[in-house]
This record gives sequence, structure tokens and C-alpha cells, in this order.
Amino acid sequence: MVIGFAIVAAWELVTAVGVVAFRKPMYNALSLVANMLGLAVLFLMLNAQFLFAAQIIVYAGAVMVLFVFIIALMNPEADISFRPRGTEWIYGVVFGVIFAALLAGLLFNRGLTGRPGAFTPEVIAAAGNIQTVGTALYTRFLFPVEVTSVLLLVAAVGAVYLAMRRIR
Amino acid sequence: MDILAPLVLLVPLAGFLVNALFGRLLPRRVVGWVGAGSIGLAFLFALLTLSQVLGGQKLDQTYFTWWQSGDFNVPFNLYVDALSTLMILVITGVGFLIHVYSIGYMREDSGFSRFFAYMNLFVFSMLLLVLSGNLLWLIIGWAMVGLSSYLLIGFWFERRSAVLAARKAFVMNTIGDVGMVFAAFLIFLNLRVLDFQGLFSRVHQLPKGGTVITAICLLLLVGAVAKSAQLPLHTWLPDAMEGPTPVSALIHAATMVTAGVYLVARMHLLYDWAPTAAATVAVIGGLTAFFAATIGTSQVDIKRILAYSTMSQIGYMFLAVGIGAYTAGMFHFMTHAFFKALLFLAAGNVIHAFHDDQDIRHMGNLRAGLPITFWTFLIGTLSISGFPLFAGFFSKDEIIRSALSATGSEVWLGVLALITAGLTAYYMFRLFFIAFGWEWLAHDNRHLHEALPVQTVPIVILAAGAVVAGYIPVANFLAPVFGGAVEVGAGAFIGLAALSVLVALVGFAVAYLLHARRPELAVAWRTRLGPIHTLVEHKYYIDELYDRIFVRPGLALARFLNDVVEPRVIDGAVNAVATFTLLEAREFRLLQTGRVRSYALVTLGGAVGILLIVVWYLGYLPWKSGA
Amino acid sequence: MPVPAYTFLVLSGVIFTLGAIGFMVRRNPLVVFMCIELMLNAVNLSFATMSRYLNSLDGVVFAFLVITVAAAEVVVGIAIIVQVYRAGRQMDVDELDLMKE
Repeated sequence: MVIGFAIVAAWELVTAVGVVAFRKPMYNALSLVANMLGLAVLFLMLNAQFLFAAQIIVYAGAVMVLFVFIIALMNPEADISFRPRGTEWIYGVVFGVIFAALLAGLLFNRGLTGRPGAFTPEVIAAAGNIQTVGTALYTRFLFPVEVTSVLLLVAAVGAVYLAMRRIR
Repeated sequence: MDILAPLVLLVPLAGFLVNALFGRLLPRRVVGWVGAGSIGLAFLFALLTLSQVLGGQKLDQTYFTWWQSGDFNVPFNLYVDALSTLMILVITGVGFLIHVYSIGYMREDSGFSRFFAYMNLFVFSMLLLVLSGNLLWLIIGWAMVGLSSYLLIGFWFERRSAVLAARKAFVMNTIGDVGMVFAAFLIFLNLRVLDFQGLFSRVHQLPKGGTVITAICLLLLVGAVAKSAQLPLHTWLPDAMEGPTPVSALIHAATMVTAGVYLVARMHLLYDWAPTAAATVAVIGGLTAFFAATIGTSQVDIKRILAYSTMSQIGYMFLAVGIGAYTAGMFHFMTHAFFKALLFLAAGNVIHAFHDDQDIRHMGNLRAGLPITFWTFLIGTLSISGFPLFAGFFSKDEIIRSALSATGSEVWLGVLALITAGLTAYYMFRLFFIAFGWEWLAHDNRHLHEALPVQTVPIVILAAGAVVAGYIPVANFLAPVFGGAVEVGAGAFIGLAALSVLVALVGFAVAYLLHARRPELAVAWRTRLGPIHTLVEHKYYIDELYDRIFVRPGLALARFLNDVVEPRVIDGAVNAVATFTLLEAREFRLLQTGRVRSYALVTLGGAVGILLIVVWYLGYLPWKSGA
Repeated sequence: MPVPAYTFLVLSGVIFTLGAIGFMVRRNPLVVFMCIELMLNAVNLSFATMSRYLNSLDGVVFAFLVITVAAAEVVVGIAIIVQVYRAGRQMDVDELDLMKE
């Protein structure tokens, strides 16, 4: 188990750096896809099978496909200079490092707090992962689900409208 | 609920409102008679209150609570007793006559309605002052009277001298007001009451002659001295003669300047309890009386002479109330109101006849031209000089007698008063001989004509009062307030009376000699007494002294504040705030770059900040060993 | 579970930080967008971890909702970027300062 985790973790890190570092946007997109797939595996390791499926189907399968299409459509070149303008990026990097350090520090020395719930892996396995999640979604979390569907509707309408606008 | 006292108050107030709001629109006749009539009506109401207090009653009626906060409870109450009734009778009675006179005197003035409005306002304020049943409303009336005085002194405001005089009067009055207010503070601090009933019943809680009560009385004295133009706050009164003559008659002779005397008399229980303060009152009074009389001998403006005479006579009143002879003081107040108003109004006739020239050296020989004025003025002069059978004799004599028969060191005050009486007779007759004269004087003014009846009738009435008032049993009337009059043996009575008559005759004789018979002697004496005469003529240079000590530094300070502090400090501070805000805004505007990156930076920075707080606050530091 | 919780969390944190840094550094708007997605993914990992180790379903559900919302957001964002591209402007985050005050 630990070895598996180590491999996937390494995969994650490499692809994450890839998302950030590549020059050609297409490579960035593909790295992101790889990262998401790795993440899906991690979900599986965490006994979140539903999330594993959702991640692959929705995220990697739809969102990233959209991304790749657009990149291909707009045929962007890699001729933009990598170096960002202004000095903000230094701050960004610095802040980012501090952030990571703090997080690490926080995490390394504490155990998990929080009340353990009732859904142990055994309980979940008894009913089946997807069934459990589905039940939860349509009972306890019904309202967020409905709101999210409205959000999706709004996003769709917005996208259509934006696409239809005549540009001068 | 008693309505008489408020009616006395409200009628002049109504007169003021009518004349102030509608005076310009109404014909002169109406304005004048509304103004005078309101005072006359008030006088009738005052007569009715007389019937209430005869027999020693007094009335303290609260009409509403004006201010209530904790145990600071100030009602609006009116206190009607023999003392206040005497005051309101004099104020409205003499005031009515003066108002009637003004209808004639001011008939050619463009500010006719304004004049009557102000005069009514003054009477209302003065009535408020004397009828008030608590110290706070008394102070309010006090201040309003000061305001009316300012408005009336500066009535001819196009004249710079008048404006300056009004300002001077007001500033000095304000000094007095401050003293009064501090006295009120002290009273409330120590006794928790401001109304008279409460005050009088609680005075004895304070130690007799102690610091507190003495301080209170001295602070009240500051107010009285300022209002009554006694030493050292007297310099405004001669300048106040810039106002029209009826104003001088009413405010600066008969009523306002006597407010100080009223104050001490009303607070007599306090002054009885603070002998040092009372002695101070007497000393100030005596010194002022003498001092003013000396100045009066050298002046040449008819109104100024009368002003100094007023100052001197009020000094007598202060002397009286200072030594505890309250009845004598109030008696003199009453007689003085009659003959001083008379003198001023007659002088007004003369001034009009000479087309507003007030220099007595230009006058003289008026018997034929202005007979009524001539004879009434003579009556006034006789009265003020203390000639027997005239009112002034009785009242002045009573004061001198009380002073001389008093125990302790007050005797020298009595001597001073006696000398002053002689001086009074001298300078008043000097004035009479030079200004009115007799046939043997040089000027031929037979062509002048007498004033209108509306002006002469009031004077005649006042003259009658100047004679008869001496026979009114004021002492008995005021006995319920002050206690019975001091009994003096018949022998002492006659002896002292003779002495004061003698002194008056001496004054008269000297004046007759120097100014009627042998004017060249007057010139000779003037050169002989050269430097002294100059000193006296310039009012002992006190005005110049005050100017040096107070006025110039004050002006310098004001100029400094205006030129330096105001633009730099105050405006600077305000501008600094504005500039600072502007700078800050400019800085903040730079945040709105429109670029995603900078916004993201801020967000990231915020996230880091929150993490830092979590780490710091909850104590999770990486290098600490975990729990 | 042999793998302790915090390793997942640390991994999540590192990925998030990488995404943040990338977001600050890159100029191509599409790449910036992808970094945002990266960050969202990292958070999802964290949610799933907590859900597993605390025996709760809340984390999983929340992660699912995050995916949904991310999808909607990507749609609209891409539409905007396409519009920018079609308007002929530079595909450069630093140049796009139309919202400037």
C-alpha cells in the first residue's frame, strides 16, 4: 500500500510541475489530464469509488476535453515570453513557499482532530459506496444538489450568450 | 394661581413684540403709545400687587419647572414681597413717565419704533430680574438687562463713539456676569438650591463669616459692581451717555444701575452672614461716592455730570446696604429714581433746545425760555443736594445717620458720606448755575422755547415725586423683609440732620459764589489747583490705566490668535486631515490595477495571513514538538 | 491504514502550492486557468482524505459538488477567454487590464 502511494504521489508531483512549467499550452493541458488521472487513483485508495468515477468522467473526461479543444482551436503559440512582467510573481512565489511551509508545519505535528463519523469503510462496503453516497446526496444534501443544478443551468446560459455576442 | 405678577411681566413683553415686529408699519403715534401704554398698564398691575403685600405677606409662586436634572431643579417662580413690589412700582412708574417723555423727545428720530421696542424689552428684563424667585432667572434677567443696555447705548449706531461705548458697557457687564455665575455655582455646590426660599432657609448651614459664604458674597458683589458702575468697574457709565437721554434717565439712573443694590438687598441674609463681604460693599460704596463726586466737579458735559452724580448716589446706596441699613438704601433708591430721572429728562429738554449741544459752557440763562424745565431742574437739584423737606434730604440723611451711628470702623464712612454730600451740593449747583443760570449771566437765550407738553408733564410729575417721595413710609413698608428700622434718639436725629443740612448749605454757598457771583474766582481756583484739577478732570486717568493693562494686551492676544493660530494651527489641522485623506486615497487607488495577477497576489497574501494567525494563535509552530 | 493521513494532506498542500505559484507566474490565460483547476483538485484530495480518515461522507459529497462547480466555472471562463481571443487582444494576463479603475 505504501509503495503504491509513493508511486502515485511521485506521479502527482511530476505532473503538477508539468502543468506549471511547460511552455506549450497543449503540454500543460495534457499534464493536467495526467494529474487528474493520478488523483482518481488516489481517490480509489481513499475508498471513494464514486469520486473516482466522477473525477474521470466529469473532470478528466469533459472539462479537460473542453480545454484541449480550445487550445487546439486557438492555436496559441509558445512565443510568449515565459518571464512574467512586473514584480508580483516574486511575491507570489515567496508567498507560495511560505504557505507550503506553514501547511507542512501544521500537518506534520498534529493528529487529526474532529469527531469521527459513523461511516467506516465496513459500513460503506455493506451498502455499496455509490449507493451510500447517492442516498446522502438526495437526502441530507438535497438542497446543495438542487442549487448546483441551477448553477449549471446559469453557466450554460451564460456561455451561450457570451458565444453569441458580436465582437467589433 | 397668582396671575398678577406674570401680567406685570408679560405686558411689557407684549409691547416689545408688537413694536419689534410691527413697529415699522404702524404710525408713530400708535408705536409710542403702545410702548408707553404697556408700561403704564404694568404699573397698574403693580399697584394691584401692592395690595397683596401690604400687611407683610409674600408670595412665591412657581409657574412651571424650567429645568430638572438630578437634584438640580430650577423652577420658573416669581417672588413677590415688599422689596420686589417697591422695585416694580418704581420701574414701571418712573418708566412709564420716561416712555411718555420719549414720545416727544424721539419724535424726529428714524429709529422711533426700534427705540420703543428696546425700551420695552429693557423694562421686561428688569422686571424679570426683580421678580424672579431664584438665582438662575435673576441672572437671566440680569443678562437681558445688559443686552438691552447695549442695544440702547448703541442706539445711534452710525456713531462710532456710541458703538464703542456700548461695547465697553457690555464687556464690563460681562465681567460682572461671570462673577454672578460663579457665585451661583458656589451656592449650588454647597447648598444644592438656587431658589430664594430654599436658599434663605439653608444659608445658616454654612459657617458664619466663613470662606464659602464670603466668596459667594464677593462674587455676587462683582456682578453688582459691574452693573451699578461702582469702583473699579465704573468706567462704562460716563461713556454710556452716548445713548439717547431717555435711555440715560431710565437705565443709567433710575433702574438698571440700581440692580446691584437690589441684589445685595435681596441677598441680605447672605450678607448678614458674611460680615467681611458686607464691609467690602460699604467701603466700595463710600469710596465710589466720594470719588465720583470729585470728578463731577470738573466736568463740562451736562450728561456726564449727571452720570457721575448717579455713580455717587449709588455709592450711597451701596454704603447703606453694606452696613446693614437695607431700608435706608432702598429708600434712597426710590427717591433717587425720582430726582435723577427728573434731572436727566430736564437735561434732555435743554439739549434739544440747544440742538444736541451738551456743553454747559454754551448754555445759561434759561429761566425765560424754558421755564418749566428751569424750575423742575431746580427742584431736582435741591432734592439731590439734600435740602430739607425735599425727598433727597430724608433718604440721604438716613444713610448718613446709619453710617455715623454704626459701631466700629464704619464711622469714617459716615464722615466720608457727609463730605460727599457737601460735594454733591456743590457740583449740582455748579451745574445749575452754569447751565441754567440766572439773569445776571452773560448769555441771552430768551429766544429758546420750551419743550412739548408730552415732555414737560412727566417732568413735573417727577418733580412732585422728588419732593413728596420723602414722606412715604418706606421703612414700615419694607419692615417685613428687613426687620424694623433702627431707632435713634431724638437728639442724635436732629443733630445729624442739622449737620447734613449745614454741609449742603456750604456746598451751595461755594457754588453760588464761584459760579453765579464771581466766576473769575472759579478760574483762579482752577489754576491754583492745577494738577489736581487736571487729575480729576481726566477721571483720575483710570480709563487710560485700564487701556494699558487690559485692553492692549487683549487686543495683542486677539491679533496673535487671528493671524498666527487661526491660519496655521486650526486651518492647518483641518487641511492636514483633508490632505492626509487625499494621499491615502491615492495610495489605495494603485491597488485597482485591473490585472488578475495582482488580485491573486492579494488573495494569496491573505491566505498566508490567515494561516499565520492560525499557527500563531493556536500555537502550532513547526519547530515545536507535536501534541 | 498504513498510510497516515498527513501524507495525503501534505501532498494536497504541495500540489496546491504549485498551482498557486503557477497561477502567479504564467502569462497565458489558459495556463492560468489550468493552474486554478490544479488547485481545486488538490483541495478535492484533501476533502476525500478527511472523509476517509474521519469516517464521514461529508467530504466526498463536498468534493463532488466542487467538481460540478468547477465544471460550470470552466465553461464560463473559457467562453470569456475565447471572446478575448476573437476580439484580437493579446493572450496575456498582464495586458488584460480592462477592469482597471
